[in-house]
Amino acid sequence: MLQCVFLLSDSGEVMVEKQMTAHRVDRAICGWFWEYVLAHAAGDPSKVVVSPTHYLFRVYRSGVTFLACTQVEMPPLMAIEFLSRVADVLTDYLGDINEDTIKDNFVIVYQILDEMMDNGFPLTTEPNILKELVAQPNMVSKMLNVMTGKSSTIGSKLPDATASFVPWRTTIVKDASNEVYVNIVEELDACVNREGVLVKCEACGEIEVNSSLPGLPELTLSFANPTIINDVRFHPCVRFRPWESNQILSFVPPDGQFKLMSYRVKKLKTTPIYVKPQLSSDSGNCRVHVMVGIRNDPGKPIDSIIVQFQLPPLIASADLTANHGTVDILADQTCVWTIGHIPKDKAPSLSGNLRLEEGLAHLHAFPIFQVKFRIMGAALSGLQIDKLDVKNTPSAPYKGFRAQTQAGRYEVRS
Amino acid sequence: MFGMRASGAAASWVVGRMGTDAHLYDDPEDAAIPALLDSRFDGDKVDALKRLLALIAQGVDLGCWAAQVVKNVAAQSLEVKKLVYLYLLHYAETRQNEALLSINIFQKDLSDINPLVRAWALRTMAGIRLHVVAPLVLVAVKKCARDPSPYVRKCAAYALCKLYDLLPEENTTLEEIVDVLLGDSSFGVVGAAAVAFKSVCPNCLALIAKHFQRLCETLPDIEEWYQITLIEILLRYVIAKHGLVKDSVMFASGLSLETQAGRDSVPVSNISSTQAETIVKGGSGTMPNIMLFRHYIEEYSGAFDRDEDKFSFPSVTSSTNDDVVILLKCTSPLLWSQNSAVILAAASVHWIMAPAEEVKRIVGPILFTLRSSPDATYVMLGNILVFAKTAPLLFSSYFEDFFICASDPYQTRALKLEILTTIATESSIPAILEEFQDYIKDPNRRFVADTVAAIALCALKLPSITSSCLEGLLALVLYELSITNSVHLNEEDAVLVQAILSIKEIVKIDAASHEKVIIRLVRCLDTIMEPAARSLIIWIFGEYSSTGNLIPKIAPVVLKYLAWSFAAEVLETKLQILNASVKVIIHSAEDQLEEFKRTVAYVIQLAACDMNYDVRDRARFLSGLLPCCANENDSSCRSQNVDVIKELADHIFGGKIPPPSNSDSNYRIYLPGSLSQVVLHAAPGYAPLPKPQSMILIHKTVEPTRGVADSSEGTNSDAESGSSRDESGSVYDSESEAGSDSNDEGHNLHRQKENQEAPLIHMYDGNVDQAYAGRAVDENLASLISTDLTELMSKSALESWLDEAPAAPLVPVQTSCARVSFTTRSFERKPKLHRLLDPSDSGGLSVLYAFSSEVSVKSRLLVCVDLFVENVTTEQLADITIKSEEASGSKSGMDQTSEGSASIPTLVPVEEIQSLAPEQRAKMLLQVHFHHHLLPLKLSVFCNGKRHPAKLHPDIAYFVRPLPMDLNAFLCKENQLRGMFEYARRCTFKDHLQKHEQTEESTDDNTDKNLLVAQTLASKVLSNANVHLVSMDMPVTFSIDDASGLCWRFSSEILSTSNPCLITIVADGHTSEPLDLTVKVNSEDTAFGLNLLNRIVAIIE
Repeated sequence: MLQCVFLLSDSGEVMVEKQMTAHRVDRAICGWFWEYVLAHAAGDPSKVVVSPTHYLFRVYRSGVTFLACTQVEMPPLMAIEFLSRVADVLTDYLGDINEDTIKDNFVIVYQILDEMMDNGFPLTTEPNILKELVAQPNMVSKMLNVMTGKSSTIGSKLPDATASFVPWRTTIVKDASNEVYVNIVEELDACVNREGVLVKCEACGEIEVNSSLPGLPELTLSFANPTIINDVRFHPCVRFRPWESNQILSFVPPDGQFKLMSYRVKKLKTTPIYVKPQLSSDSGNCRVHVMVGIRNDPGKPIDSIIVQFQLPPLIASADLTANHGTVDILADQTCVWTIGHIPKDKAPSLSGNLRLEEGLAHLHAFPIFQVKFRIMGAALSGLQIDKLDVKNTPSAPYKGFRAQTQAGRYEVRS
Repeated sequence: MFGMRASGAAASWVVGRMGTDAHLYDDPEDAAIPALLDSRFDGDKVDALKRLLALIAQGVDLGCWAAQVVKNVAAQSLEVKKLVYLYLLHYAETRQNEALLSINIFQKDLSDINPLVRAWALRTMAGIRLHVVAPLVLVAVKKCARDPSPYVRKCAAYALCKLYDLLPEENTTLEEIVDVLLGDSSFGVVGAAAVAFKSVCPNCLALIAKHFQRLCETLPDIEEWYQITLIEILLRYVIAKHGLVKDSVMFASGLSLETQAGRDSVPVSNISSTQAETIVKGGSGTMPNIMLFRHYIEEYSGAFDRDEDKFSFPSVTSSTNDDVVILLKCTSPLLWSQNSAVILAAASVHWIMAPAEEVKRIVGPILFTLRSSPDATYVMLGNILVFAKTAPLLFSSYFEDFFICASDPYQTRALKLEILTTIATESSIPAILEEFQDYIKDPNRRFVADTVAAIALCALKLPSITSSCLEGLLALVLYELSITNSVHLNEEDAVLVQAILSIKEIVKIDAASHEKVIIRLVRCLDTIMEPAARSLIIWIFGEYSSTGNLIPKIAPVVLKYLAWSFAAEVLETKLQILNASVKVIIHSAEDQLEEFKRTVAYVIQLAACDMNYDVRDRARFLSGLLPCCANENDSSCRSQNVDVIKELADHIFGGKIPPPSNSDSNYRIYLPGSLSQVVLHAAPGYAPLPKPQSMILIHKTVEPTRGVADSSEGTNSDAESGSSRDESGSVYDSESEAGSDSNDEGHNLHRQKENQEAPLIHMYDGNVDQAYAGRAVDENLASLISTDLTELMSKSALESWLDEAPAAPLVPVQTSCARVSFTTRSFERKPKLHRLLDPSDSGGLSVLYAFSSEVSVKSRLLVCVDLFVENVTTEQLADITIKSEEASGSKSGMDQTSEGSASIPTLVPVEEIQSLAPEQRAKMLLQVHFHHHLLPLKLSVFCNGKRHPAKLHPDIAYFVRPLPMDLNAFLCKENQLRGMFEYARRCTFKDHLQKHEQTEESTDDNTDKNLLVAQTLASKVLSNANVHLVSMDMPVTFSIDDASGLCWRFSSEILSTSNPCLITIVADGHTSEPLDLTVKVNSEDTAFGLNLLNRIVAIIE
């Protein structure tokens, strides 16, 4: 049972305080928490913090800390998931969340928090119902507010979906353009050890659906090769039975964009590109040489390639140049090598010299190279959608499919 | 160009903010809020209310606006209504009178045609939590539970939780409503009903029975948050109804223990046959068994000591039980949920109930959450660690998932390392070690040190890799030396020390075969600077100086080197050199002895002249122990007692190192997915699983045995005279600040039996002491008073109060108070008796206990408990004694009673009662150290050689001791402990009503009712809590039975920490009716304070 939710800005200021139960939590706890965060600035402080008076749960999103307090036993993951849900809903409402948007829309934030939680337990968290209870600020309502000085964000009637068996779907979808898009977004996690061996390579994917269909449509999505999938998680709209028996996704979609499922395909064999760092150090100097190239052409262009690494500690100066792309060394000692896409004629390489601090002959801690890239039009796990059936719509809708892969936790150790 | 971009950004920022409420947040007070609130236009009201909301967000106290805001609740505009509700919910607790004004509107809204309005009204009405309107809310909830709109019914379920806080005595009515809602047709309502069930009646699992199947089937359809709660309830229900599943991991963990306990010598592998056991036992050669249900089920903790001749095994059901099957079937798809909390809840059901071969299915989903819900990683890993420690094989093939990423924060890394070492097997260790080698070059050196420690743990676990690990660690030591000697780095030292420590741990197993490693380490001494590392190597050298073939050969050289470097070392190294040299002498062969003696004598001489007294001390001690070395000339004294001394030296320095203690036996495990498991202590409200197959009993066990307590009352108390309360202690002295003349009158009016500790009444002006006395005073009423307060202090006013003037005019004068100071002893204490052992279970031995206010002389952590033992049989009972069952306590408890919390025994040994004749009674004083103020302590009562388990429930009210202080000190302390350290709760007090009835019959009207109330409450608190009464303030009033302003102050200090704990109780209302009390606790230890507050409220009610 959460007693209170606070929204803190990046400087530790309390922006919103919403008491959830009768056991009021003094906002002095935020002061304590901020001291704690500052004291643990180096290592990321834990998600569950035991303060002298309360147990605190913490979720951090783009500059805003969501803090919840309790004094009694409750599932900690419930608190953390709830806070992330609040963050997601607010992001959805306000475009993006930061100190300014929260403060500017504090009334909406309060109203949403009040609908989302009652007596310390989540009440209505379904975005579709929330949007009817508390109207989303849009250009029209803002203009109305400026012109006439009045606009109500409070919905005047109870959303019908609260009584529905498919609460995620608004009963009457207006202006449906009768189209549905399925988008596979994959992240490639890979780990190459210091010997250059691929230790781990797996793809974490999400299937995002953007549906704009009238009525109460019945969708069935099937894969050509469902057996390659190792782990799955589903949106509540997905029925479990058909998946259990035939690996078919059968669902009534919410309106608009949503994440239908996430999955993981483990033990992939290769990565599309290679990154080969070489560091050798002696007598106070460390020579760096990094090569990047295509290993396994996915058939689609690879772009937005970035290689970045943290300069090792005790470096006096760094002199790094690349034959392709740009090299920046940021204030936090991160070296970012922006490659873009790999040219046909030459293999991009980064080379240079790091001068170690006085008295240090060899490098003892080696950086880990993080690789980013993006491939449009291909899902590297090889997962393929077989077909998508739409039933229960007045006319056949337009169906669109896309796929995309980007690097997730792609690390090359040196 | 640059300017253009900047202005563009500014413009878009302005556009972004336009039409939002930005200006209200930035400058909420730039308009006249009162005027806007009173405006006729809804727009103005909304504007004003938003400004107030902005001020609330910024932490400004707006309680003073309550009256003006509340009157807007009647507005037609839903937006105004919603904003007023937001305000009300924030302030109702502090502004009760104003909040009351809104009740009529709520009543009206509850019959509105718009279900949203009904739902809001119900939420707010229950949310403002006024005791006065609680009955109204109950009616409203009953009505709304049958509302046509599911949303309103859902809100009714939520309101039940709020109502339960206000009206716990109405629980049967509330349970009925929960029952109705559980049977609802809407998924949302069923889910909310589960939440209500958990807060209203979590133990009435019988209520679930008729809904069980339907609840299981709806599980996949209800909302995720309700799934978490409902899964937990259903799990508890199945355990309470059917017991544990026979081939589950949890059951197997107990079974393997049984086999161990029963036949210690038989290798376990011969016995274990079921698959469950192989999962638990497999691959965990060095891992102690974790007795899961000892931790999960409260009933069994401590019940399995090895000396147990027979123990009752928990009730068991097969995995084909219908209820178990359906629960597992309906929770398994939830492992695919998008909510990680649901996944963990579903996984824990499988963990506890599923047959071992099916537990596998939880592994994939919970590991997937590590990647797909980054926020949940930390909590998830903590739970996986427990799973992995119990059943390492379950995770052993998934080791890749625990490889560490560069983006992992430190805590995640530490947990992953621990899991990796736990699940490592012969087949996976090469890959894991290769990873570890990579980690050693990680920039985070603290993590590197942890990795080095993990390598040693793996090497200990899997002997096949020991030698390669040692080689690697040695190489690391040499490598680190080359770095740290050139540049001094703090973090590198930690890695170096950890590497040597890891080598030490591995070498310990078989030193002789690793002697080359030791020699190479010793050689490094020349280059190692870090004192901690040097000391470690010197220790290793000393310990193994006679091991193997090579080390004894180099020992003389090393010893000389150490002697040579002695003067330049730091303290800890010096001490280690001294120890090592003695060990060398003790273990040395005859032929080298003389050479060693010279060197050691030199070292001891150096040490004897050292600057540090610790070193000198050690030198003196050693020279006494080894007279041969200290003083070679003095050969006379080494005659007869040389043998004794040698024996002694052997014992001190040659003692075998005890095997590493099983830290896992003290490792506390809580239910998976609970907060307690993450914070590693039992959070308030944590409840272990119910006792298996205990469902029928559940309602009966709670009833205290009141009748027995009463009957035995006479036996125990000399202090408790049979006299009724109003005779003793009601004598008081009165004294006025104005003069002493009223003193006599006070005496005359209340002439009763003289008491040696005559208390005093102080009169004082409320205005002067407004800061503390006036808090209880209703400000509205106070503002009406126009009379001069000095007049109230006049003699006549005082007299009229003392006289209880029958027709006193109703002028409220609560600002004047009388302070009555009683010493604590002037109240009779009537400690409540609890039953420890029922005669029917224990062959006629009845044991009752009551917490005593005595303070233990042994340790401040001990709580004294009076035990009243009685033989109710017709035969003699012999050898009655009591022992603690806590594993740690029973070992160390017998011989140690020194100070320090670690060494405090759970139970100070009590003298045995040799025999007890029929009908005979005996009293024992038990001194107990409760480890936790909520969890009961397991005791065994032995009688006639038989053991009877018993549970001693702690009472937090006796975890404190009286802290005498005067009022000023109290107020001063209280002022220091405001804000976070202050907790208040409201409750009602009814006891004085019975007293009234008694007194009306027995005594005349002269007895002051306020005084009576004050005494009744004070004596009630004092008999149930070990506190000191600082003062009792009584209002001086013309109205006879107005008790508003009555105020008690108690002080105490917490036994364990000696932090003061202040309790203030303020009354409100009339003496002829139940009184509203506000109880407030101020304490630095807030968790304790809160628990104490709840206990005090429970005592009063």
